[in-house]
Amino acid sequence: MQPEEFLTKLAELLSTRKTGEHVYLSQKRLTGQNEVPKATEENPFPDLTQSATTPKPIIIRATDGKRKKHITSGGEKIKLSTEVSPDQLEGFYTRYAEVCKANMTTLKPRDRKKGKAKARKKKGGAGQTSMTAIP
Amino acid sequence: MPYYDKSEDWLHQSTLLIRARPLTTRITTSYGIKPAHRFTKVEKLAGTATSEGKNADKPPRGKLILKTYDPVSGSCLKYATSKAAEVSRLIQMLGTLARTMAGGPQSEVEQQPAVAAEKDEVMADAPPSGGGVAESSANRSGAGTPVSAAAAAAAAASTGSAGGGGGGKGKKKKGKR
Repeated sequence: MQPEEFLTKLAELLSTRKTGEHVYLSQKRLTGQNEVPKATEENPFPDLTQSATTPKPIIIRATDGKRKKHITSGGEKIKLSTEVSPDQLEGFYTRYAEVCKANMTTLKPRDRKKGKAKARKKKGGAGQTSMTAIP
Repeated sequence: MPYYDKSEDWLHQSTLLIRARPLTTRITTSYGIKPAHRFTKVEKLAGTATSEGKNADKPPRGKLILKTYDPVSGSCLKYATSKAAEVSRLIQMLGTLARTMAGGPQSEVEQQPAVAAEKDEVMADAPPSGGGVAESSANRSGAGTPVSAAAAAAAAASTGSAGGGGGGKGKKKKGKR
């Protein structure tokens, strides 16, 4: 599936979700079945030594997580996937973010008044992360 | 399965995991909608499970969960939010991680020092088996000059990683929390 088509269908999938339904999106590097070597004592990070240095496309999948039971009872599982080559990632993710932002409508909208009150209360330690950075 | 409080922390740790295992790590984002109010069994039995509950005027709430998982080492890092304001920032983070995942020349430049730092960290946490010995011997020979100290650190890092440093990554994360 082409990235454009994927995004259009994803928008449709996200916007038609009802209460109690889910959408699962996953992304991983596109690898062949036997491409990943096993880690050994001598080489605990085989990823870093072998083909990891050559750019590979990313595969992005989307599904509604419907189970077999649902499918046998007449429903249909929605599965979408697309491959994005490394040089197109930037543009794809900009569009992807737009699609997600526009269609994930049930998330809490920003409450400006409340936010301001909280910011005043929390003055000082707001910008800190909960963990120390690795030096 | 730790949930991080800040998305920045999740991004940082996920970047480290992907750099260590770019071939097997995957990121799953789940978006789900829950009703604002769930009726309890008591309410259902009593027949009071109507739509005029205390949360009847509230719309159903969505939730977004980001999960970085590596099946080989079993590391799993999570971040959950229900704020709409965070969505585009989080997807941009996914984009950054995707670029790291894809590998290639642009990420390799920043990758090298980070990986070295990671290995140093692992070694410091690990029991002083191979790495400790190498370090002490290097300290004896290198008379405190910065160049030899750096060489010693590099040698220690390499021996540390060879001596079963594979499991150290997950352990380190648990210790840091």
